[in-house]
Amino acid sequence: MTDRPSILVPIRVLEGESVPEGVPDLLAHAHVVLLGYHVIPEQTAPGQAQMQFEDRATERLDEYEVIFEEAGATVERRLVFTHDGQKTIDRTITEHDCLAVLVPNASGPVEDVLVAVRGAVGIDRLARVVAGLFGETDASVTLYHVAESDETDEDVGTLLDGMVGRLEDQGVDASRIETRVDRDQETLDAIVDAADPFDVVVMGESDPSLATFVFGMPADQVADRFLGPVLVVQREPSRDPEE
Amino acid sequence: MAEQPVDVEPGGQNVAGETPAAEPEAVTDDTTVHDDDVELERTIGLVGGLAIGIGTMIGAGIFVFPGLAASNAGLAATLSFAIGGLIALLVALPTSELATAMPRSGGGYYFISRGMGTAYGAIVGLGLWLGLMFASAFYLVGLGHYASAVFGELGVGLPFSPVIGIGLLFGAALTALSIGGTENTAKLQNVVVGILLVVLTLFLSYGVLDAVGVFGGASAPEQFFSRGYFPVLTTAALVFTSYLGFAQVATVAGEIKQPGRNLPLAMVGSVLIVTVFYVVTIFVATSAFGADRLGQFGETAMVEVARDFLGLPGAVAILGAGLLATFSSANASILSASRAVYALSRDALLPRKASEVNLRYGTPHVALLAAGGPILVLVATGQVELLAEVASFLHLIMYGLMCVALIVLRRRNPEWYSPSYRVPGYPVVPAVGALASFGLIAFMQPASIGIGIVVMLVSYLWYRYYAGDVTLKGDI
Repeated sequence: MTDRPSILVPIRVLEGESVPEGVPDLLAHAHVVLLGYHVIPEQTAPGQAQMQFEDRATERLDEYEVIFEEAGATVERRLVFTHDGQKTIDRTITEHDCLAVLVPNASGPVEDVLVAVRGAVGIDRLARVVAGLFGETDASVTLYHVAESDETDEDVGTLLDGMVGRLEDQGVDASRIETRVDRDQETLDAIVDAADPFDVVVMGESDPSLATFVFGMPADQVADRFLGPVLVVQREPSRDPEE
Repeated sequence: MAEQPVDVEPGGQNVAGETPAAEPEAVTDDTTVHDDDVELERTIGLVGGLAIGIGTMIGAGIFVFPGLAASNAGLAATLSFAIGGLIALLVALPTSELATAMPRSGGGYYFISRGMGTAYGAIVGLGLWLGLMFASAFYLVGLGHYASAVFGELGVGLPFSPVIGIGLLFGAALTALSIGGTENTAKLQNVVVGILLVVLTLFLSYGVLDAVGVFGGASAPEQFFSRGYFPVLTTAALVFTSYLGFAQVATVAGEIKQPGRNLPLAMVGSVLIVTVFYVVTIFVATSAFGADRLGQFGETAMVEVARDFLGLPGAVAILGAGLLATFSSANASILSASRAVYALSRDALLPRKASEVNLRYGTPHVALLAAGGPILVLVATGQVELLAEVASFLHLIMYGLMCVALIVLRRRNPEWYSPSYRVPGYPVVPAVGALASFGLIAFMQPASIGIGIVVMLVSYLWYRYYAGDVTLKGDI
């Protein structure tokens, strides 16, 4: 394995979804796991769709693979016919040990990156993604934290300093890192508002809770409202004891 | 992850010059893997598998057969259902082993074509497709009876019997829905089966308590073999249609998650569950009315039983449940028939065109029409018992051959055959399963046997004409 972070790029390959502009450059330093998937109704056997659509889907994935490779990424790919797109994405994340999933939206050249730091949990993986993707670029990185009312300034300082330290250890020049803290705001709204001038958002996957069942995952909501590419850093996979 | 290699090389080509589609490279818990990193996701869990099995079966045995069975065999119809369940179990166990060794779409057809060769495969595969159409037509006629009973309940007098008309209407609607509908029907199926099991459990619990005398005097004990011994077996042959569902689980084996665990559990589990329900249902029904009166009520006898116990609300509940159950059985059978067409067309035994996927809806419209169209013709005959027996005949041939295929594969023990579940009591269980399956056929009406044999002959001739050069048997 390289030390490039593995990023999953899921694409509904037969429904006109393609690799949006700017995404190949964004992931130039990544190991791209390119997942072309096609969701079919239950009346249809996956193999049936495969017989008919495999060639066309493979052709498209070939094109996308070339685009990513020309931008500088290493690429691994899968084509999956499925009744359940979410299950396929989750499984691919686990099997390929992906650090993050890209919600593919178009972007221009990446100059400003917003990194939403929620807490100390998962901060290592967050740092690996940011450092891996943007360490060798000139992009400026803004660490953003929305403080809870019971968090002291000292807590927040420790959290963000820890993140800065990790990024520096992994080769991100400290002069490119800024920090920003907001208080007394609803986290999601704050992230969306703050994200506006940025080119790309990196954030963690939130724990599923009741609210996520009603409103969907926070990362998805941010992606819907931000309109630019969002990298969703995945939780540490719980190791299967059988493996 | 446990990867199972697949090493079957189909070859040859049919009249149209089509060759069987390539076999996958491996089977994992979550996918079927083809070359070039193409994967087919497995998305049906244990609950979904059980729902397919139970949902397909429960419609017939409880809501259509009690009256017919009781008039044929008397109280001993309970035994007929138990015999049917035992045979189903004897077949479900070997089927489980085959399915874990070859968890691919097509079920019994796939096992037999890989284990015993193309000729047997073609007879079983085409027979399965037609058998499912007969089964589906049978459920639709049952549905027609229940819908007519609703009219009767509402006091709407019709100058003609609406049974066949309603069956045709629902048959056409189901086919259209399957082609155009993209809703999540599997989730709906799970809910329907859940509701049915709850309603039936409540109803049967009350019925059992009543029969043993908790609510007033126990019902008059009736002579068990009131019609003699022979009708017990003919009735078993008739009602065997109630046990065709477990093989439908194998039809979607390619989509079941953790196939090594879930396939045997879903197949054996659904057979055991419905057997218990059937036996209790017949016991309750016959104890409420006695076999003679029950027989007079015909297909919707259970509605009268419920009315006897619980009054109008009971009758309404069972009417609703009967509609749901026959509808879900018909639906499941049409979908399975379409899967069978796909499996045959994948192997070049039917034109590739037959499994074409509709670009607008993503559904296999040719295969669904190929199932739905003939079903309407069959419904139009309105022959409940004949439809049921032909469906059973064609399935029983497949069941028997599956048991034989298992014995063949075990004896030759090819390298690619490594089931994760092994049938207990080999070789007795599969041998008895095969004998019982073929034996039950002997107790059917001559007309059913005749039609069944014609279907098999036509299937064989089609294979000789269309795909005589295709070889599907796995390397030995």
